[in-house]
Parts: sequence; C-alpha cells; structure tokens
Amino acid sequence: MLQCIFLLSDSGEVMLEKQFSGHRVDRSICAWFWEHAISQGDSSKLQPVIASPTHYLFQILREGITFLACTQVEMPPLMAVEFLCRVADVLSDYLGGLNEDLIKDNFIIVYELLDEMIDNGFPLTTEPNILREMIAPPNIVSKVLSVVTGNSSNVSDTLPSATASCVPWRTTDPKYANNEVYVDLVEEMDAIINRDGVLVKCEIYGEVQVNSHLSGLPDLTLSFKNPSILGDVRFHPCVRFRPWESHQILSFVPPDGQFKLMSYRVRKLKSTPLYVKPQLTSDAGTCRITLLVGIRNDPGKTIDSITVQFQLPPCILSADLSSNYGTVNILSNKMCCWSIGRIPKDKTPSMSGTLVLESGLERLQVFPTFQVGFRIMAVALSGLQIDKLDLKTIPARFYKGFRALTSAGEFEIRS
Amino acid sequence: MAPPAQSQRSSSPSQPSGKGEVSDLKSQLRQLAGSRAPGADDSKRELFKKVISYMTIGIDVSSVFGEMVMCSATSDIVLKKMCYLYVGNYAKGNPDLALLTINFLQRDCKDEDPMIRGLALRSLCSLRVANLVEYLVGPLGSGLKDSNSYVRTVAVIGVLKLYHISASTCVDADFPATLKHLMLNDSDTQVVANCLSALQEIWSSGTTTSEEASRERETLLSKPVVYYFLNRIKEFSEWAQCIVLELAAKYVPSDNSEIFDIMNLLEDRLQHANGAVVLATIKVFLHLTLSMTDVHQQVYERIKAPLLTLVSSGSPEQSYAVLSHLHLLVMRAPFIFSSDYKHFYCQYNEPSYVKKLKLEMLTAVANESNTYEIVTELCEYAANVDIPIARESIRAVGKIALQQYDVNAIVDRLLQFLEMEKDYVTAEALVLVKDLLRKYPQWSHDCIAVVGNISSKNVQEPKAKAALIWMLGEYSQDMQDAPYILESLIENWDDEHSAEVRLHLLTAVMKCFFKRPPETQRALGAALAAGLADFHQDVHDRALFYYRLLQYNVTVAERVVNPPKQAVSVFADTQSSEIKDRIFDEFNSLSVVYQKPSYMFTDKEHRGPFEFSDELGNLSIGAESSDTVVPGHRVEANDKDLLLSTAEKEETRGPINNGVYSAPSYDSSLVSLSASQSQPDVAISSPTIPGHAPQSSLAIDDLLGLGVPAAAAPVPSPPPLKLNSKAVLDPSTFQQKWRQLPISLSQEYTVSPQGVGALTTPQALLRHMQTHSIHCIASGGQSPNFKFFFFAQKAEESSSFLIECIINTSSAKAQTKIKADDQSASQAFSSLFQTALSKFGVL
Repeated sequence: MLQCIFLLSDSGEVMLEKQFSGHRVDRSICAWFWEHAISQGDSSKLQPVIASPTHYLFQILREGITFLACTQVEMPPLMAVEFLCRVADVLSDYLGGLNEDLIKDNFIIVYELLDEMIDNGFPLTTEPNILREMIAPPNIVSKVLSVVTGNSSNVSDTLPSATASCVPWRTTDPKYANNEVYVDLVEEMDAIINRDGVLVKCEIYGEVQVNSHLSGLPDLTLSFKNPSILGDVRFHPCVRFRPWESHQILSFVPPDGQFKLMSYRVRKLKSTPLYVKPQLTSDAGTCRITLLVGIRNDPGKTIDSITVQFQLPPCILSADLSSNYGTVNILSNKMCCWSIGRIPKDKTPSMSGTLVLESGLERLQVFPTFQVGFRIMAVALSGLQIDKLDLKTIPARFYKGFRALTSAGEFEIRS
Repeated sequence: MAPPAQSQRSSSPSQPSGKGEVSDLKSQLRQLAGSRAPGADDSKRELFKKVISYMTIGIDVSSVFGEMVMCSATSDIVLKKMCYLYVGNYAKGNPDLALLTINFLQRDCKDEDPMIRGLALRSLCSLRVANLVEYLVGPLGSGLKDSNSYVRTVAVIGVLKLYHISASTCVDADFPATLKHLMLNDSDTQVVANCLSALQEIWSSGTTTSEEASRERETLLSKPVVYYFLNRIKEFSEWAQCIVLELAAKYVPSDNSEIFDIMNLLEDRLQHANGAVVLATIKVFLHLTLSMTDVHQQVYERIKAPLLTLVSSGSPEQSYAVLSHLHLLVMRAPFIFSSDYKHFYCQYNEPSYVKKLKLEMLTAVANESNTYEIVTELCEYAANVDIPIARESIRAVGKIALQQYDVNAIVDRLLQFLEMEKDYVTAEALVLVKDLLRKYPQWSHDCIAVVGNISSKNVQEPKAKAALIWMLGEYSQDMQDAPYILESLIENWDDEHSAEVRLHLLTAVMKCFFKRPPETQRALGAALAAGLADFHQDVHDRALFYYRLLQYNVTVAERVVNPPKQAVSVFADTQSSEIKDRIFDEFNSLSVVYQKPSYMFTDKEHRGPFEFSDELGNLSIGAESSDTVVPGHRVEANDKDLLLSTAEKEETRGPINNGVYSAPSYDSSLVSLSASQSQPDVAISSPTIPGHAPQSSLAIDDLLGLGVPAAAAPVPSPPPLKLNSKAVLDPSTFQQKWRQLPISLSQEYTVSPQGVGALTTPQALLRHMQTHSIHCIASGGQSPNFKFFFFAQKAEESSSFLIECIINTSSAKAQTKIKADDQSASQAFSSLFQTALSKFGVL
C-alpha cells in the first residue's frame, strides 16, 4: 500500500508531504525523482511508474504539479495511479483549480482532505459529495460567513450521513426550489489519416455528463434512440446494471451536482467532418508545402475553432508560411499553428510556403504530422441520440435540458 | 538531503529567515496558551498555520512541541486537526514530549462529537512511539465498539498501526479476533473493508506465529467468507471493492459451477467507472478460468472491450498502466486481438514508452489477414520525427517478416527502406535483411541485388556494417565486386573502431576466399596481417586462429569457417515462458508494468526503514551472493531497458546467434553450440581443433612472449595477503558495511588500453576479477562510465574489503575507494587490486 504522497511544484520543490505508515519515507526521494525527471528531459513524458533504488514511485502531472506516491510493496499499479488522479480531481474541485499558490495557500485543507481520503495507505473514499460534507470547501460563502459570524471553522460539525447510506454518492436530502437536470453528450473524435489520404482509424470516445439538482431521492431513467451503436460502456457506480443489460436503459439515483454518468466508445466511423490535405514537394534543399482544409461531411452545424498544428522536423532551418485565411504562427520550438476558426463560405482556406532545409540535405526525409482541432456545438458526431429522460416522481417544478458537443481528440493527418 | 530546487524558490512571504522566527513563534504560542480572550482561537490558528507551513517546507519546528501541546486545549476543530498533524509528525522524534499529548488525545477520544473522537484516535495511533502503546489499548478497544461507524473505521486501521508498533500488545489485547468478529458482523461496509485489509496484513506479516496465521489466512479464503464479501460487493466503496476482488482472485473454487456463479456475479464490475476495479475483476476472471481452456478464451473475448476502452479513456498515466496489462495479454494470446490491431496504432503525441509497447503489440498480433495494413502503418513510422521509434518500427517490420510465412510484400518494403537514403533507416534495414536471409535463404537474389548497390561508405553504425560485411562474405559468389569492397574495407582497417566489425571482416574475407580464391588472396593476406597486429584480443586471436587453420589444411579451414548452413527456423526468445507465466500470475501488480516477476525486483519482506543512500543510487544490488553475479546483473540490465523491444535484445546476442565464430577461445562446447545451426559434419572439425590446440598454444606463447597462459595457472597471490576465493557476502551486509566503514584508501589508476578494449560489457571484468578472488556484488553503467562494487575476504579470517570502482573507458582511468574491516591491510589489498585490474585484457 502507499507509504506517502508528495506534492511537488513545477520547480521540484516539495509543497506538501503526507506520510501514511510507520516507515517514514525520506524527502530525499523527491530529489532523486526530480533528478530523474530532469535527466529524462520532458517531464510530461516521464513514465507514471518508476523504480527508484529504494521505492517504487507513482507519479502523475496535473497543471505543473507532480503528485508523487511511494511504496515498497507490491500493489496494483492502476489503483495507485487512479487514486492519484482522484486526489488531483478532488483538489482542483475544492480549490477551484490547481496551481502552486492555491495549494500553498490552502495546504491545511489539502492535509484535511488527504486525511479523509486515505488512511494507512488504503484509499477510503474519494467521493466528492461525502468529502464535501466532512470538509467545507474554501468558497466565498464560507469566507463571508466566517467574517459575519466570527466562527471561521471550515469543518462541519456533523458527520456525513451518507457514509452509512445505501447510495454513498448522494447527499441524503438536498432541497431545491427549482428541480433541474441537464444531460450533456460530450464526444471526442480520434482519427488517423495516412499518407495516401486514407482514413485508417476513426472512433469516438464519448461521455454522458449529468448535472443534477433534484430534491429528495430522485430515480431517473435515461434511454437512447440507438443504443446499439455503442461499443464498450462504463458506468458511474449509481447506474443499475440489470435494466441496461435487458433493455439498454440507464436507471439511476444521481449524485448531487455535476458527474460523469457513463462513458462509451463508438468504433469504425466512416468519415470525418473535415478534410486536411497536405502536399509536400522538396527539391534542391527547399521544400514547398501546401495545406488545404475544407468540409468533407457537413455535420449540419458550424464547425468552430478549427486549428492545424504541426511540428517542423529538426532538419528545417527556416520556414516561410502564409495563408489566405486565418493566422499562421511559428513558435520558437518549431511548432506551427494555423488557426482558422470557421471555414468561410466563399473560399477554401489554404496555407502555403517554403521550408529551407539544412545544408547538405537535398530532400525532406522526415515528414511532419498535422494535428487538427475543431469543435462542433449541438452535434454528437457518433450519431448517438437521447430518446427520453424520466423521473419517477415528478416534482412541482421540473426542468430538463440536453446538449451535445463534439471536439477533436487525437485527430492527425500524416504526410 | 534537501531538494535541489529549494534554493531557487522565489521567496514567499511566509518564508522564515531562520532560527529567530521559530523562537519568536515559540514565545507567541506561550503567551496564547493560557489565554481565554475572545480572539485567541483566531490568533492561535494563524500561528499554527505558520508552524505547519514551516514544517511543510522542511524546517525543523520540533522545538515548539511543548507550546503546541499547551495550546491544544481548544474546541476549535481546525486547530485540533492542525495540532494532530503537527504532533503526528514530530512525536516519533520526541518520545518524551509525545507523552504530553497522550492526555489531551485520550480526552478527545471521549468527545461527544464522533468526528473529533475519530480524528483523535487516528492521531493517537499515528504517534507510533513504542513506549506509549499501553495508552493505545483502551481507546482502541472502546473505538472498536463505538456506535459511530466513522470511529470504528478509524479504530480498525488503528489496530493495524498498533500491530506494526508492537505486535504482542495487539495480540494480547485480542484485537485480531475482535476485528474478525467486526468484519463478519458490522453493518458499515467501510469498517468491514478496513477489517479485511488490516487482517490480511496482520496475518501475512512474518511476526505472527506461523501456524495460527496460516490457519487464519485459510479462513479468510474459505468459501463462506469469500461469498460473504462477494455478495455484498456492490455496497463497498470502489477502493474497498478492489481489496475484495484481490481476495477473490486468491480463492480456489471447488467446482466449475462455482466459477460461473462468481463470474456472473462480477460481470458488471467490468463496466465500473474506476479502472482499478475493472482490472481487479479481470484478474479474478483470468485466474478462475486458468484451468478451463475454452472458457479462458471466452474470458479474453469478454475483457477485450473494457480493456481497450480503459486504454483510450482516462489520463495518459492511467492508460499506460492499463496498456502494460493489455501488452501482457496480447503477448499471451495475440490471435484474440488480431482484429483490433488498429487500437495499437501510435498517435503522434504519445510518449515513446507507450509507442514502444504499441509497436510490440502490433508485431505480436500480425497474422495473414492484417499483415498488409500493419506493415503499411509501420512503414509510415519509419519517417517519424522520433528517430528511436522510427528504428523500432523498422525492427518491428523485420520481426513480422520473420514470423510470417508469406513475406513477399514485406521483403519489398524492407528493400525500399534501403533506398530511403536515411542513415539510420539503412542501418536498421541492413541488420534486418541479414536476419531475413538467415531464415529465408531463397530471397537472397532479390536482396543481394539491392544490398550490392549500397555503398559501404554510407554505413557507419557498427551493427549495420557488420551485417553488410556478413552478407558480402556469405554471398560473395553472387556479388560481382564483393572481394573488392572487402579489400577497400581492409585498407581502412585502422579507421575501423568497432571490434565487432573487424571480426566480421576477418570471417567474411575468409568466406570470400574459399569461393573466389584468386580475387581475394591479396585481401586475405592483408586482413590476416592487420588482424595479427590488432590490439584487440579477440580480433588478434581470430586472425591467428584463421592463419594457423589455413596453414594446417585449407579444406578443414573451409569446413570450419564456411560450413553449409541450415536456415534458422525460430530465433531465440528473450524471455523464458516460465517468467512470462510468473508475470501473468501476478496480474494487476507492478510486475506487469516492469515486465518481470516480483521476485526479481522486490525483497522477500519489504525493506525496512533503510536510508536512501546516494552511493548506491543508480545500481541495483545483486539478488543473492557472488555466485549469482551474472543473473544479478541481468536483472539490472533489464531494469534499464525495461521497454526495450525484444528485437533489440536479440541483437545484443547477435554474435552468438550469427553462427559466426566470434568467441576467442577454442572451447569445444562453443563449437557444438554453433553446430546446432550448421550441418552435422562440422562435428568432424571439432575434435580436430582441441587436439590441435595444446600443441600450438605453446608456440603462440613463445611467439608473443607472454609466459604462462591465463586460464592455465591460478593467480599467484602475493604472500602477505591471501584472499578467500569463495568469499560470500550478502547485499544487505554489504550495504550496511559500506555505510559504516570509513574510506581507508582512495586511488586512481590508469587502465591499460587493452583493458579498456575488453571492457565492452561489465561481465568481462567481473569474471576476470573473480579469478583473482575479488567478487562483484553490483555493477552498472554504460560506456564510457562503468561502476562496480566489489568485495573480497581474507583467506584465514572473515575480515573483508569493500571496493567501489568507477572506470571511465574514454579517459582510461579507474577511481577506486577501498573500505576495509582491517584498515592496516588495505594498502596491501590495494596493490593486489591494482595488479588484478592491470592484468585485465592483457592476458
């Protein structure tokens, strides 16, 4: 089991240390880790599980903050990594973001949270609802309250009752004047288009995100028009398994607030909304590049925030790029960004220019990969559609809303 | 040791300037301690916060311990929490002061508020001071019976903490039995889960009497207990579910229907949002069905989708952990995943350790139906910006070619690589074509035509050059200008830095000579002359060997050097299947991520509180004693290239696999090793050689004027100091001694150029030093820096010498630090060591 957790800032400073077992882990391990991280170059490319001479280290990086956990015994690695991810999620939820200053200003809260999330190296609870009842988040309300009442305790006096309830994810009895529930389909499209312009792989990873503000103990059912397209699915613990198994219906008692109800995958999609056509011809030490972007398959809504990014190969000395639409930037690390925004009606955006190769090189040998970004509001590109959302006992004022959003995940075009 | 970055940190307002501030705090706290003024709690809170922030950044504030305890009499829960935190941190270092806190903690354990009761109990158990355990038993006992589940949860873990401080106290108070009762009867699932994990730890730790413990462990795994947990599994928190599933994976069901019952019950766990739960469930499934082949296969089919989803969702860190497990499964049953090959396509942004895993999986799942797509994809990576990955993918193409029957298309691709005019692509492709020809000699015509066009000047990497030379020798009858290319290579003999290439060159010229004697004769003469003058031992020996062989009888020489070869059907696998099975047994553990079973990287019981020592920083300690130096080192080597593809490892063994006689000795066992690849009639030649060797050895010695040959005579040790040739020292003792003993001597030697040349791998030196009764306990490093830890013992007494030796091959310097039990003998030992080292590579 985990022996301790360190939080390191982006300069390697130990911001926080929490020991769980009698075998104290010396801080020098952080120094070792940091040296190791530096020797590996890019710290974001560091392996999440590392064997140091004395401990096995698990590390995740969030917003420049490294969460480092140490153990000396065999344990499920995913459990440790997953737990660290949850810690990061809970902290950013509590502190309204994650950065060095926030953690340093609120380290007492961080200690309190870690105290409740893990004891003696065993994870206890990471359910935000339960934690919220034990330790009040440092929000403006509580600050105002503390000024007014003079009582600055940010810890509630009562114990969370949900720990003993049969729906541990739910606060027992919230009351709302307006009962609302919002369901969002958030999808990401991953695609690879190879050198010959063939769509090699295209799939969608999607999540059903629910924001629920309902009084009492609501029992919801959500159904889809076309559940058969869903590949593998994963559920929040609140989803009952049987109804899904027999009728593909999601039946659940939701946690309060925002949560991820379900995640799914839709595989083997046949086309992408955009096409990106790179063309590179090199000759006598220079390379001519042209890049066309256009709509291949109109999703019916505007495609927004289109960007194309690519890393210039190291053998390129200089690049002169221009576009007929949008702006082109070349960053110092030879990363080119072409931000297009929306595709204009009257013309096809194109970018062209010349790349000067290193002396001695006749032709370009290493070809860049183009990464495309876009967003489409109100469309779930997988084609998944929500049929209906029902509440068992409908309260007086009840409002439900649906939204959808598709964005590009790992969308890449090779050349 | 302070983190290095601490000094660069920008100064924040709360940063203390030094000791003065701490004493300042001390007096402020003292003033507040007795105060009952209205604002006192708020000012206390500010002060506490400051103290804890000092503690957090690593400043010692233990001097205010007394004051903190005095201030702890408060009803403010945040103050209490901060105080608990502080006390927990420093109690271990100040057992006397910790006694002060017992009082107020015990009082808090009886507080009305269950939250405070729980927190106080947790802090009380976290003090971990051995002489305070008597105060723990009472509060723990009542905590376990508390009406509030939160307190019980804390108390259960408290029992475990007590057990680690003083096992006897814990057992005397009969706590394990109480926990067992709680585990089976408590209504709160968190309490139950904590009981389970605490009991598992208590009964599996070594200190309990083994018989009782093993009985209790069996009870935990008995049917009623396991069923009790499984039936309630949905009530547990996700983390507790992992613990229960871990237990279930160890359970051995009595019959098949039980297996199906358990799997039906757990099936929906595969769709849990928490990846850890999914993986733990998969482990249960795999282990339950291990003996039922067809069901086991169905399980693979069933878990495929959840695993693939886990990989594509979640953070990169999570997907790496899952990917490692997926990798294991793909390697075990590639055919099941062969239709999902697109999931293993590499994305541009992925870190290279992920790409490497994916490349290996792509290689594994390739079969008749998908090879074309996979190879097309791999070829795209060859133009990748990331050069190591580009190389890796070319190797992957080669591996696929070697495992397929229909290699038509792949060979064309490989030959296209050769025409890509990129140094590293050409280099990798050459090595592959060589392997390919060894397996499919029928392709030689197509390949040779392309290879012949490659100018040897464009090939710089030793491996590739060696491969090219091998092909020149092997197919010299089909390549028009093979003798002339070889000749030009021999002309530049002195510019060739790699011994491997020179060795291959010798052999290739020999082979060429047998096929086209008139054209090659001149080149052969030049090569042998250059070889005899070579300073590298192996090259010299081989040249001499060839020379004498030719002198003796040319036909025998041809049979030895260029026997007809059989195509290689299967190349040796790098990891034994036994090791793979061991890793599989440890599914859902670190073993999978490290790709080696846990016995290779963890101690039997997890290491105690041993200090992190810098000296041993980058080294791993050999597993056993000196006898296992080589395996110990292998573990080390694996550690470094954890994700190294099998292809690469295979290459490192290249010379042996090649069927080229690269070893320097006339060892008949080696000949028989190579004979497995050559025709049986080589066997004739092997008796000839040993029969010949003894006669010629004398002549060689005379020729070179070296005196006594190396292996023949034991090392004459100087009379004053004799070393025990069978010295034994286990790694932990070594570590302990290394820390305790002062450095008695530290010196710098120059290593002879021969020594440097022979130090291609650390093993060579290890074996050499062992003949001088100096044993290696750990070694590491890569060219040009090697680091060794040696030890030796005196022959008569058990006084030992410890040596750290850092050899830099580029500067040819060896730095040694010697520590000895008997300091007076260290000078004598040092000269002994130096003599031994100086003989390395010379003999």
